[in-house]
Formats: sequence, C-alpha cells, structure tokens
Amino acid sequence: MLELKDLHAEVEGEGIEILKGVNLTVTKGEIHAIMGPNGSGKSTLAKVVAGHPEYEVTKGDILFNGESILELDPDERAHAGVFLAFQYPVEVPGVTNNTLLRESYNTIAASRGREEMDPLEFDDYIREKLDLVEMNPDFLERSVNAGFSGGEKKRNEIFQMAVLQPTLSLLDETDSGLDIDALKIVSQGINKLHGDDDAVVLITHYQRLLNYIVPDQVHVMIGGRIVKTGGKELALELEERGYDWLESLATVNGEAK
Amino acid sequence: MAHPERIEPSIMHELATQVSDSRNSLWTDIRDNGLMVLNSSSFPSKKIEEWKFINLKPVSRTDFVHIEDAGTLPAIDIEKYFLPESDRSRLVFINGSYHEKYSSIGGLGKGVTVGNLADYSKDDHVKEYLNKLVNYENDVFSAYNSFMFEDGAFIHLEKEAKAEAPIQILNLYTDSSQAFVANPRMLVVAEEDSDVTIIEDHIGLGENRYMTIPVSEVKVKQRAHIHHVRIQRDSIDAFHFSRPIAYVEKNSEYHSYTITLGGKITRNEPRVIQEAEEVDFTLDGLVLIDGDQVADTHSVMDHRFSFAESHQLHKVVVNGNAHSIFNGKIFVRRDAQKIDSFQENRNLLLSRDGLVNTKPQLEIFADDVLCSHGATIGQLDPEEVFYLQSRGMTEEKAKEVLTYAFALETIENVKVESVHKLLIQEVYRYTKANSNPKVLA
Ligand SMILES: Nc1ncnc2c1ncn2[C@@H]1O[C@H](COP(=O)(O)OP(=O)(O)OP(=O)(O)O)[C@@H](O)[C@H]1O
Ligand SMILES: [Mg+2]
Repeated sequence: MLELKDLHAEVEGEGIEILKGVNLTVTKGEIHAIMGPNGSGKSTLAKVVAGHPEYEVTKGDILFNGESILELDPDERAHAGVFLAFQYPVEVPGVTNNTLLRESYNTIAASRGREEMDPLEFDDYIREKLDLVEMNPDFLERSVNAGFSGGEKKRNEIFQMAVLQPTLSLLDETDSGLDIDALKIVSQGINKLHGDDDAVVLITHYQRLLNYIVPDQVHVMIGGRIVKTGGKELALELEERGYDWLESLATVNGEAK
Repeated sequence: MAHPERIEPSIMHELATQVSDSRNSLWTDIRDNGLMVLNSSSFPSKKIEEWKFINLKPVSRTDFVHIEDAGTLPAIDIEKYFLPESDRSRLVFINGSYHEKYSSIGGLGKGVTVGNLADYSKDDHVKEYLNKLVNYENDVFSAYNSFMFEDGAFIHLEKEAKAEAPIQILNLYTDSSQAFVANPRMLVVAEEDSDVTIIEDHIGLGENRYMTIPVSEVKVKQRAHIHHVRIQRDSIDAFHFSRPIAYVEKNSEYHSYTITLGGKITRNEPRVIQEAEEVDFTLDGLVLIDGDQVADTHSVMDHRFSFAESHQLHKVVVNGNAHSIFNGKIFVRRDAQKIDSFQENRNLLLSRDGLVNTKPQLEIFADDVLCSHGATIGQLDPEEVFYLQSRGMTEEKAKEVLTYAFALETIENVKVESVHKLLIQEVYRYTKANSNPKVLA
C-alpha cells in the first residue's frame, strides 16, 4: 500500500534536511506505529506523505499502491485515499465542520467514481459517524476546530477520517490531549474503521495507545531515519529504556544524524 | 471658511455653473446653501490629510456632461433587481430621477409614508430635516448633491409604526456614451418606537463612467429601530461618493451594513451621531475589490452621551492592483461615560500588487470607556489551505472557501432573506473569480 524508498526531504527553499533516507513498507490491512524522540521527523514524514508544500523531496520516492505520488497535489493524494490526522489541527474560522465534510466527501466520492450524497442522505451518514466517536452533533455547525479544546480537535480528526473513509490513515499523535475515556472511545473508533483493505500508521509517544490499537510493527525514528523496527513488544522496551540505546544507530553510516 | 480667491476652481463648481440659473427648483434654500459651499470649498487633493491616500485625478479629469447630453440608454430588464420582499414597498430611481412606473408603494401598513421627496416638499418633516442633518465640512460632493438633486427617497414612520416589509430603494444607473453625474438623495425620519428595514441598492447597468453622490439623512428617534443595508454594485468605471449620516436618539438602534463591490473609485463616509443616552449602533462594512478599484471608507462614530454600544466590523478583500483605504474615527466626548465601542478592520490581501491603508482613529475624552479596536492585514494562511487540501479540496477551492468564509461574517446580520442570499451570491461570485492562480499561496 505505502512504500517509502530512501526518502529525503528538506524545508522548501531553506536547505534544512529533515528526512534523511526513510525506508518503510506498509501493507494493506496492517497497523504500524512510529515512535521516536521529539524533533526526530515523525510529523514531517506524515506531512511529506500528505504532500505539504513546505517540504521538498530531494531524493527517494513515495509509492502508493505501487505508483509514485510525489507529483500529486495534497488534494489528489486525499482523493487517492491518503488521510492525515494532524498533530496540531488547524482552526478554520468561518468554515463549518459540516461544510468541510460535505465538500470533501463529495469531491473524494466523485474522484473515486462513487455517488455523491444529497444533503439528507449525507445527514444520516454523518450522524452514524458522529456516534462512532461519540461526538456531539453541535460540533457540525461549529467552525472547523475553532475554539475546540485540544482533545475535541483530536476527536474531530478521527471523525473526519470516519467520514472520508481513507485507505491510508496517518494519525499524528492523535492520543495526546485525549482524556482517559476519550482515548478509549477514539481507539475503538479507529479499530472499527480499520479493516483488511486499509492501513493505519500511528505516530505516538505512548505505549498506552498500543494497548488499545495493537500494531503489527513498531518503528523507531531518530534523526530523520527509521533506525529500528520490531513487533509490539518494542514499544514496551522503549517505554522502559527510552531512546538512548538507539542513538548510535542513527549515525550508522557515519552520517550526521 | 477660506477666502474665495484662495480657492482653486473645483470641478464640482464648474459643473454647477454649467447648470442654468433659471432652473426651477423646489429646493431653493437647499440649493443656495449647496452653491455657497461649492463657492467656498476646493476640490480635495492628496495634500489634505483626509484625502492623502486617494487619487482623484481620474474624477477631475473626466468631462462630465449634463444627463440629457450623456447619451443614456434605456434601463431594460430591471425587474430582476426587485426584491420579492419589497414587492409593494419599492422606490426606483434611474440616474437619480424617480420613476413611478417601476415603483410600488402601499404595502407597508399604517403610519408609514414612502415616496418621492419632490412630492413631499411641503411636508413638515421634510421641511424640518431635509438638508439639516447632512453635515460634512467643506464637502463639495454633498454640496453638489444639495445643489442639484430634485428627486429622492422619503421615508417617514409615525410613532409606533412598524414597516411590514423591507423598503427597497433601488438606484439604477444606465449605460451612456458620456459621463454624467447622479445625485440620489434620501431622508428617513423614524418617530418614537417605530421600526423599519431599508435596502438601498446602487446598480450600474453598463460598464460606463458616471459619478454618483448619494446623500442620505437618517433620524432615529427614541426607541426606534432602523436596519439599513447599502449595496454598491456600480459600473466598473463609476465613481461613487456617498454620505450617509444618521442621528440616534435615546434607546434607539441603528444598524447599517455597507457592501462595496463595484465602482472604480468609491469614497464612503458613513457617520453616526449620538444624540442622547443609551443607544446601540452598527456601522459594518464589506469591501470586495479587484483590478484597479479603489475603495475608501472614512467613517465617524460620534459618542456624545453615556451608555452607548457601538460596533464596526469593516472587512476587506483586495485582489489585483486594487487599493483599500480605511479611516475609522471614534469620538467619545468628555461626558460620555460607559461607552462600549468595538472597531475592527480586517484586510485579506490576495495579490502581491494590492494595497491596504488602514487607520483606526480614537479620540477619547471620557474615562469610563471600553474601546476595542484593531486592524489586521493578512494573506490566506497556507496551513489552512493545506488543511482543506488534505481533506480533498483543490487548492483553488480551498482558497475560495477561505475567502468566502472571511467575507461572510459581515453579511450574516443582514436579515432580509433575499438580500442575504444575494450577498452570498455576490461573495461567491467574487471568490470564484478570484481564486484563480493569480492568488498568492
Ligand atoms: N518548516 C520548518 N522549518 C524549519 N524547521 C522545521 C520545519 N519543519 C520541521 N522542522 C524541524 O524538523 C525537525 C522535525 O520536526 P517534526 O515536527 O517532524 O518532529 P516530530 O518528530 O514530529 O517531533 P514531536 O515528537 O515533538 O512532534 C524539528 O527539529 C523541527 O524543528
Ligand atoms: Mg510531531
């Protein structure tokens, strides 16, 4: 489903390299977790896959379902099935959640050859998804994320994921900011949404999330590279030992991290 | 007053002298008064502080001719501008002249008088207020209007009268082969406890050059409410100089919303003057400009007594080489306490070559006053654009949605449904036309 091949990326126009050769393969039906210290490039990786114009891919490739998506605009990637749940969801005053979702759902549906829904159908559909993440319908008529609490923003991201039905979901620290109950609800939602035909990549700092959403693989990112990959027990080991013991791996080829 | 010999001959003065002195006017005193100001006032130039950002050369270099010589084309297909809500409460003016056959009055219920000023020249209210409320110092534009106007809208509400429908004042400007000047005039007197909604629309039917100088005088007496929407959709080559002034009495409310879409040069000078305690007024604006349009708003909110609540949200979207100017004066006089005044000018700059000048101006002489004011100039936030794109919207669509959202806030309070819809369409049309690649990321 997703293949990153020696992916290098830098801040557009500033020559600051952040991703320094990421290799990663995610197969349909799988859940992957990416962990790693602050500033190691996890969010950048997610944004680069989603096509953020702030970053320039200088080397390597991103294959999605076997084809390079480097030349695709962010919306085209979304149409293809990529979804990014932001670490810091943006507030968009004046655009209601409902407007955004209807607009998005219909453009994505059209690009995939699915039928658009009329407003009534869409209403029913969206209620169902609200229930999934136990979100209050009042949020539909509020401006996207404007004035939402930290946890509400995160829940809203997963709500959007539920509505848009992506095939690859990159969830960047969705767990941070959620209270204990919300974490449980949102995790269950993600589990329900996940099936054999899609894949989920979780970026997280906490092993706790992985008790709810069990990953097939855990990757450690340090200095813009994935330095170690293991099963779910790797997360437990990290919880215990931190990242120090892996730091040396980050400079394996003598390159600066 | 300046000495006559120091006054440069103004284009307005020249225009006035073209008019034959034998012209019969209903409004002799008002006319004389206008001429006096024209005789003693010079045409504004950039040397004057209040006019320093706006270039009026295109106006002074235009050869305006008398309306009869302008080669005006007939106004056709104008029914599409009629508001359904104002089916029986509409006055139509073409190039400033009243047209009874398109107008329709009588659907307003008891105690509401609506008609052509020229038919009410003997009315006591007209005698009492017409030209008495307009107050723009050495202003050649309002003076010219006073010198020239014959027709105009007259709206009077008796005590406790509630207009049953919104009143549409439709000002149409026809296509023409030469430039002309129109002088729309309006007087609104709302007696105690009355209530009225006025939709004042200015529409250019062609793409020709003309100058319109709408002057409106509004008196809001005790506990009366006025909702006043002003839509400026002049021709793309037109000049628009408007002077709407409102006086608000005790416990009254005056809420005005000005939407500026058309015109080559617009200078809008709305003023609200408080005449007693406990009033509530709004002076909101939305400006959507592109190409080489210039839109200048110089407003005054004059708080003269205690307990006033005032609100001014002035939103501007600038594209192309367009230029927006905002100067919002807020006066709070010495004895006016407990004033709660909000003013904000927000500018969205979509192009590299657009220009914004903004100057909130607070002159506060009282101490128990809450005045929040601010001005921002910004572009679309690339993070917001990316967020929407990541949800499947094209870049174009995302920018359109964000511009639309920015503009929409100011028209949310327009309470006549068809007007609200129309404005949404206008905003939509503007954002659609302006979300193409000339927009900066
Ligand atoms: N636009 C940018 N300009 C300059 N530096 C940037 C930019 N974007 C990211 N960086 C830098 O790249 C590094 C990686 O950032 P990134 O947000 O990907 O880290 P992260 O692994 O997600 O961290 P955290 O766990 O704290 O969320 C950081 O040092 C960050 O400051
Ligand atoms: Mg991060």
